[in-house]
Amino acid sequence: MRLLKIGLLVGALMTPLLASAVRAEPVTLDFWVAWDPTQADAKAAIGQIADFEKSHPNIKIKTQTIAFDALHDKLTASVAAGQAPDLSWGLVEWLGELNRMNALADLTPYAAKWPERDKIYPNALQALTIDGKLLALPNYLGLRGLLYHEDQLKQAGVAAPPKTWAELLDAAQKIKQTTGKFGFGIAGRGVRSPQELLMYLAQNDAEIAKRQPDGKYKNDWAENSDEMKRVTEVFALYRQLLDKGAMPPQAAGWGWEEEDTNFSLGQYAMVIDGAWMSGRAQQNPVQMKDVRVVPPPAGLKPATFFEINPFFVYKGKHPEETWEFASFMLSHAFQGAVNPNRSPRMDVEGDEIWGKPFTSLTPIGVSFPPVALGSITRDMEESIGRVLLKNEDPASVAAWLGKAVNKSLRQTGEISSQ
Amino acid sequence: MVVSRSQNLFRATLTYATLIFFCFFCLFPFLWMLDTALKPAAEVMSDRPSFLIAAPTLENFESILFDSDFAIYFRNSLIVAIASTLLTLTVSVFSSYALSRWGRYAVAKAVGGALLVSQMIPGVLLLVPLYVLMQRLGLLSTYWALILVYCTFMIPLVTFMLKGFFDGVPFELEEAAEMDGCSRVGFIWRILLPLSAPGVLATSAFAFIAAWNEFMFGYVLINDDGHRTLTPGIMLFRGSHQTNWGLLMAASVLAVVPVAIAFVYLQRFLVEGLSAGAVKG
Amino acid sequence: MAAVEHATIAEAAPAPRGMLFRHARMQRVAALFLAPAAAFLLVLIAYPLCNVLWLSFRYANLVDPSTVGFAGFDNYDTILSDEEFAPALWHTFTWTGLSVAGEYALGLASAIALAQPIRGRAIFRGIVVVPWVIPIAVAGLNWIWLLNPDYGLINSWMVRLGLLAHPRDWLGGIDTALLAVTFVNVWRSFPFYTISILAALQAIPPDLHEAAAMDGAGPIRRFLVITMPHLKAVSLTLIFLHIIWTAINFDFIWVMTAGGPLNSSQTLPVMIYKYAMQDHDVGAACALASMSMSFMAAMFFMYYYSVRRKGAR
Repeated sequence: MRLLKIGLLVGALMTPLLASAVRAEPVTLDFWVAWDPTQADAKAAIGQIADFEKSHPNIKIKTQTIAFDALHDKLTASVAAGQAPDLSWGLVEWLGELNRMNALADLTPYAAKWPERDKIYPNALQALTIDGKLLALPNYLGLRGLLYHEDQLKQAGVAAPPKTWAELLDAAQKIKQTTGKFGFGIAGRGVRSPQELLMYLAQNDAEIAKRQPDGKYKNDWAENSDEMKRVTEVFALYRQLLDKGAMPPQAAGWGWEEEDTNFSLGQYAMVIDGAWMSGRAQQNPVQMKDVRVVPPPAGLKPATFFEINPFFVYKGKHPEETWEFASFMLSHAFQGAVNPNRSPRMDVEGDEIWGKPFTSLTPIGVSFPPVALGSITRDMEESIGRVLLKNEDPASVAAWLGKAVNKSLRQTGEISSQ
Repeated sequence: MVVSRSQNLFRATLTYATLIFFCFFCLFPFLWMLDTALKPAAEVMSDRPSFLIAAPTLENFESILFDSDFAIYFRNSLIVAIASTLLTLTVSVFSSYALSRWGRYAVAKAVGGALLVSQMIPGVLLLVPLYVLMQRLGLLSTYWALILVYCTFMIPLVTFMLKGFFDGVPFELEEAAEMDGCSRVGFIWRILLPLSAPGVLATSAFAFIAAWNEFMFGYVLINDDGHRTLTPGIMLFRGSHQTNWGLLMAASVLAVVPVAIAFVYLQRFLVEGLSAGAVKG
Repeated sequence: MAAVEHATIAEAAPAPRGMLFRHARMQRVAALFLAPAAAFLLVLIAYPLCNVLWLSFRYANLVDPSTVGFAGFDNYDTILSDEEFAPALWHTFTWTGLSVAGEYALGLASAIALAQPIRGRAIFRGIVVVPWVIPIAVAGLNWIWLLNPDYGLINSWMVRLGLLAHPRDWLGGIDTALLAVTFVNVWRSFPFYTISILAALQAIPPDLHEAAAMDGAGPIRRFLVITMPHLKAVSLTLIFLHIIWTAINFDFIWVMTAGGPLNSSQTLPVMIYKYAMQDHDVGAACALASMSMSFMAAMFFMYYYSVRRKGAR
């Protein structure tokens, strides 16, 4: 009896202690990023996150830096094992896939109550919405423009940057003849190569997969000979760039990294690239001081790749705190410090070179269809390789890519039956 | 020896020529690594790369040592490699003793066969199931995940190497120890292991290197900077938007040098150890 | 452990009945000694392996959760009808064959040179071990840098020496990627052969050579008649082990080319990884893995029985 009393007494004494202990226990959010910790944007973000932790003592942010090339595989593995982080960086190309894996939190109810929602570019949010559900938030916008070294163009006697594919080929050849340096560069490999290909396709009015009336997707180039012809022209452009010496032959093997590095060192004159190149301008101020930005040269119509780089928010134990942090990262203060030139907020406009010339391209921006892209992007990459490395006929590559896209859609169960 | 002087001279020249070729072959990538690490960023990306450095600098090493998690990765690799080597050895000493002394028993044949076959299984194949298993055991992003996996993949080979050395220890010794009332574990600990010390050293060196060098499991099973090992850690220095080759090479030099020095010193024992037994089988 | 401590041999009784008792006891001790190794195998290899085999007959696509259940041989069919399968198989053979041949040739040459009684032998031996202690990921990155077409040393040297007209993207070319990775693999792996062969060379009694030399045998003849037969056992073991290790190696190719360009350096392990981690088709990945494993096992048994038959003769 006495024991019981003591027990009760101790219990009564402990309860408030325990309760407060539980309440004071901060929530730790896992946040996987792919920034380069030595770069300015990462440093700014780390500082902002520290401020956030100060003003929100109940939330701790645990960031893990993972190389971009490794991020996709690590994310899908962790999702498959039920160990996803709370938030992560990523590519919009993975949205369909993560959605089908049922990994993403539905942010629609939070966004509905979000006072700053109308400050975000609507098409950025639209691109992250599937079946009416908002499944991710925009991290930064990677609109692509034509970057060129003005001095090199002047030296070659090219008065204005090219506005069409023909002008591009012409200018690049002139530059090669007069300066000895190559005129243009592409990414023939890696995540950026399908993005560039998607842009050229859109410029020639072709879509990699179209939404069908039943809500599913299909590549219909085989049924539409005009579109197939326009796709063939795109692959022919790649071939011409190589054959006419408009780009260095090794560019067929370049990824984003070689493309960016070589441009920022002034090894060639023109590239389709994004606003992150401002970081290179800080690193190589001498070689980058003559760089200007204009819209990409057009095919049948102007278009560019609109990379909506997302934050993925996963189904986790702390949805409220995660939303709190995610919306903080879209605040004016955070965006102004971290993404001054590529913010998804309309009220963060950026400077004259690295901001406005890119954000002004928003209306002509195109993105990937919201399906599980996995092997589609790899097929697109392969199609460029087939043209450039294997020297296959552009028409047969176009036909091959159409078939490969449909095969991939079939594998993931997203093919339209119509 | 009945060899003429000129033949001797020819032989020495040939030997030296071969060895100098091999030294160049083995070292020049390493020297280029060191050279790049000592260059300032502006010289690293040069159209006409050369070994000459106009303004050598230690800034790459400084930023690796003081501004990055390199030291943590290094420590983690050391912990994982040492722990898995010790655990592998402990388990393998018993299994190889059993295979050496009781190889005819059905149980020894079964386990021995299983150990052999397990060498044929590609690690990639077990990646997903092991990931899920580690997650169920709550070991993801811990040292134990890597230690256990490395042990599993090292035990077969270490067992067979040790068996070679144990086979070389005469049976009579064991009988004599038995007469003196020495227990079996006592015999292994006090007589067998000291007798095969060079072999055990060579074997542990092998296990250590295998664990130290492993990349794939470290890359997949660890999602936490605090527990990340060196090889995936170095891959991270290929940042998200550009590879800083100077930094990368500085990190590589720092990762390689301590182990390389240890091995240059240890290789004598390695050859002697292997010579003593394993290769005869 | 306590049980092991008590298992002293001295306790055994001398009578025939005792012998039998002793035999049973020995078997128990043997089982006990083997138990930890067996436990590792069961939990970390056998269990996941059964999982893999089981999944290879089921639909298991992570991005298509709606299709589940028994798949029969569908997954095997997916693999066999994949147009990349035959090239990947061929690449695996090329990669393994060339790697092992190159490694053995370099290992043998360096071991023989290092076995000569010359000055500075210890230093040379130390240097030759260096590539082997460099982690694959680091070696891979270092060679990517050396082979870089824009800033790499090797291309620059070759152009300056007139061997090449233009820098060549060795890792990015369809014809050269697999060969380049193979070369780097040989560079990194041959010291293991050197050490092992050197150890075997030292175990050859020197008087054999002397006696042969007395009989008038030249160095080449002595090499063929004395050295090579002594190296036979170690060579077979080395080659066999490395055939397996090279064929299942994933790290090197993944770090250096990730199987590219256009899958021209894709081997079976890389293909397994892509199926599992990028296409999320775990069923097909498991089917491919099961096939490649049974192939290995078949090779192993062929080797095992041929060695045993020769041994019996």
